[in-house]
Amino acid sequence: MTRAPEARDPLAMVLAAAAAIAWLFTGDFGKEVLSEVAVFAIFAMSLNLLVGCAGLVSLGHAAFFAIGAYAAAAFGVFVNLPLWTAMPLAVAVTAVAAAVAGFFAVRLSGVFFIMMTLAIGQMVYAFFLNSRAFNADDGMAGIGRVDFSFLGLDSGEPAVFCAFAVVAAVAVFFLLRMVARSPFGHTLAALRQNEPRLRSLGCPVLRCKLAAFTLAGALAGFAGALAAQHSGFISPDLAFWTVSGEVLVMVIIGGMGSLSGAALGAALVILLRHHLAGLTEYWVFYMGVLFVLMVLFAEDGVAGRFSWLLRKLHRRGKNV
Amino acid sequence: MIFLIQLLNGLQLAALLFLLSVGLSVVFGLMRFINLAHGTLFMFGAYLGVTCAAAFDSFWAAFFLAPLLVAAGGAALYGILLRHIRRKSPMQQVLVTFGLIFIGFDVVRMVWGRFPYSIAEPAVFAGSVQIFGQVYPAYRLFLIALGIAVMAALYFGLEKTRVGAMVRAGVDNRRMAAALGINVERVFFFVFCLGCGLAGLAGVAAAPVFPVFPGMDMSILILALIVVVVGGPGSLKGAVFGSLLVGVADTFGQVVFPEFAAATIYALMAAVLMVRPAGLFPAATVH
Repeated sequence: MTRAPEARDPLAMVLAAAAAIAWLFTGDFGKEVLSEVAVFAIFAMSLNLLVGCAGLVSLGHAAFFAIGAYAAAAFGVFVNLPLWTAMPLAVAVTAVAAAVAGFFAVRLSGVFFIMMTLAIGQMVYAFFLNSRAFNADDGMAGIGRVDFSFLGLDSGEPAVFCAFAVVAAVAVFFLLRMVARSPFGHTLAALRQNEPRLRSLGCPVLRCKLAAFTLAGALAGFAGALAAQHSGFISPDLAFWTVSGEVLVMVIIGGMGSLSGAALGAALVILLRHHLAGLTEYWVFYMGVLFVLMVLFAEDGVAGRFSWLLRKLHRRGKNV
Repeated sequence: MIFLIQLLNGLQLAALLFLLSVGLSVVFGLMRFINLAHGTLFMFGAYLGVTCAAAFDSFWAAFFLAPLLVAAGGAALYGILLRHIRRKSPMQQVLVTFGLIFIGFDVVRMVWGRFPYSIAEPAVFAGSVQIFGQVYPAYRLFLIALGIAVMAALYFGLEKTRVGAMVRAGVDNRRMAAALGINVERVFFFVFCLGCGLAGLAGVAAAPVFPVFPGMDMSILILALIVVVVGGPGSLKGAVFGSLLVGVADTFGQVVFPEFAAATIYALMAAVLMVRPAGLFPAATVH
């Protein structure tokens, strides 16, 4: 199961090229979709740190996505801070929330951890649904976007915000790749493979898990802060379990443990949703079938199939 | 006396949760396998009940047929899909059943449409009864009685029969049970089908009280999972006490702290797991 970090990631380059082409050649709607893909790619990559690296399957990751979105909106709308300040504050708030939630969650393992994360997600959902300060189930509207006027650009333009979201996704990709290649990342991989052994080697297992949970939560909060600006509207539905489920589907379809795979999964699920929703009313059915087939027959996801294909082509090239 | 009414409401929810969670719990105890599509089976029980009740113009036809149909569906699901993923990691099994939730949700929308249904309660329990001067619907009392009856039957089956002893042996130590000549696989299949049937029973029994709509599966599934986790997987006792605790806490939570209604049970679960990480009455050591 160990996937040695490759020096070059062909899939990531293909994705970056596809994003650049999409940005250059699509209209405003295409750019809005691309922004959504970039936001969810950040969200999925942050979950991949938990699921793929540390082997901690979370069914409540949307909680931090929603906290980030609400925090950014609250700092922007209530305190009237510019988003350049509100966003880092939102990420900090989410990190604190994730650390508190993680303090409880990481003590449990296996299915109990999954249930605890599910409960955390639903608690956050219930909180936003009932809190009058955040307009309960009406959600909040009128959230602005980051200001690029110092560059002479208007972030209300799809092209500008889309470029910003894609750049943010690329930055998160490099950050998480750095984490995965660091000693901390290797510790997380060891944790996934054999936790009792790591524990007996004297590794502070709980502290490592908590750090991973906090970092993943903070990045999900960053994705949430971007999502709030992208749609300009937030509601408690952001924290609902289906969102957590959907982002997990992205990670699985892309290929657990592969960063670029998570980004690809986000792109596939969102494009599929936009296309299938136009073709058939029952797109959830097809997504479910695809998901089951991926889990059954392609455990390493699309990213795994892609590198398999590359290896095969490479070998054939050598033989000729 | 609002307290009494709420207590009865809590017990009624607990009875439904018990029907759902006991199958989940014992299957998990036997095979370390959580079937997330259990709520979907509950939903199918309700919808098949709606169809049967309409076809035979009788609640009781639906009440007996729907659970059998759901159990048959569970058997088919096991034969076609779940049997083949037994060798995979538990995580993959959980994920496959998670995918089944998506599929089940849309299958229901395709077959029955998106509008809510309901079944009329049977004529016998259509009225209400007087308890300590309070009026309470008779059908809801029937639900509580149904939960108690199933609990008694399962207790007898698990504690006093040979098959029950096999199930308990399998939960305690699956490899040892297999070494003693018990066909754990067959016991598992039996328990799985029984659990599916009970989920279907819960669905059709809930249909006169709760609306039948696509999505009813998730709200109840999460409650049932909390019951399993709070009670401790694998034991009948855990399912009983977990259902009571969650059913009553959820009902009173909605009355006492309406502002935090949805959070009460999650807080309860977090608290229980902090004190007893393997649930209140775990049957087997969980690693």
